[in-house]
Amino acid sequence: MANQPLKIMLIDDENIVGKRLKPALEKTGDIVETFEEGKKALARFDETPFDIVVTDIRMENIDGIEILEQVLAKSGRTKVIIITGYATVEIAREALSKGAFDFIAKPFKPADLRGIIQRASKELRSGFLHTT
Amino acid sequence: MPIIIISADVREIEESIAQKVADEMGYNLMNRRILADIAAKHQIDPGRLNEIMGTTPSLFKKMSARQWRRNLACVEAEVLDHLLAGNIVCQGLAAHLYVTGISHVMNVRILSGNSRCIKDIVEKKGLSLQKAEKCRAAELQHRKKWSLAAYVCDETDLSRYDLVINLDQIDPVEAVKTITGAAEYRKFQVMTYSMKCLADLALAAKVNAKLLDSMPSIKVQARDGSVVVITKALNRQKRKKIATIKELASTVDGVSYVEVHVKNNILAS
Repeated sequence: MANQPLKIMLIDDENIVGKRLKPALEKTGDIVETFEEGKKALARFDETPFDIVVTDIRMENIDGIEILEQVLAKSGRTKVIIITGYATVEIAREALSKGAFDFIAKPFKPADLRGIIQRASKELRSGFLHTT
Repeated sequence: MPIIIISADVREIEESIAQKVADEMGYNLMNRRILADIAAKHQIDPGRLNEIMGTTPSLFKKMSARQWRRNLACVEAEVLDHLLAGNIVCQGLAAHLYVTGISHVMNVRILSGNSRCIKDIVEKKGLSLQKAEKCRAAELQHRKKWSLAAYVCDETDLSRYDLVINLDQIDPVEAVKTITGAAEYRKFQVMTYSMKCLADLALAAKVNAKLLDSMPSIKVQARDGSVVVITKALNRQKRKKIATIKELASTVDGVSYVEVHVKNNILAS
């Protein structure tokens, strides 16, 4: 179980974010799926749970905080990481209160996100990863 | 773990609550004792540094506005640098006025209660009730004036704080429990974003203190090692000023890039 790859879901309505981050996150051998629409991402989550969800906040139809709440309602052990270009103290505190694992402001280096995922992974490895 | 900044309208109450919160949480307490180290590091008279925390510049005290501002900037820079370590209760260093916009910093205001304070003044100073009331009002006015002069914000504006406790209603033991309980809330825990904001604030304060050594009237912002300095100068002095700022700011640890925006100093011309 300890060496099983992580299943990571990446949600951002800006296509470039997924394109840039996917290869960077896959370097460690983890499985990454990218989504530009929150609703499609949640539908996919219903089919198969993910270990880590990385989501933007400001998106059309459904925002990142709502995704956070819905993901945690479906799977309490999933680590949700919020990324946003509109970070404020209020939003950051709201995200953490609602159970986000971490919160990072854009722009950031892929290595910064990898660092957070590594920490999330450590916590997850103490339990079991989602099986495919 | 969060940082707790405690301020109150009465200094003794502030010290006592901060010490108890630090003891309860096993955190380090940062207070005015740190001023001696700051004074030594920045070659400032320790007595003078202590004095600036409560007084505004004055010709009678032989303290110019520039000196006063520079000394405050040194305190701010060192306090922010220490806060990066986390697990700290901070009191007596005006941090509630300049450590803003950091989600893992819990800003607590203790209201000592008017009746209790006036009673204390009557007992300690032997004044009549009327005179004690005037004395209390003057002290509050003085603190408000200082906070506005030093950081352009009113410390009596309670909307600035995350938690306000009125000791007329909540006793000090309950106050300590309330603060330590609130510090456990997830919203006050450290996250990548808040640590970055604090690091940026600390770097900007360091550059500000460095530049105020040799020039007045600057504004500094920092992000990921890039620093933006906004200042004023006469048109003919712009080039020289930009070069000086870039040279000085680059010597500060953590600065990777310096950008200077110079506005025309119409008044000087």
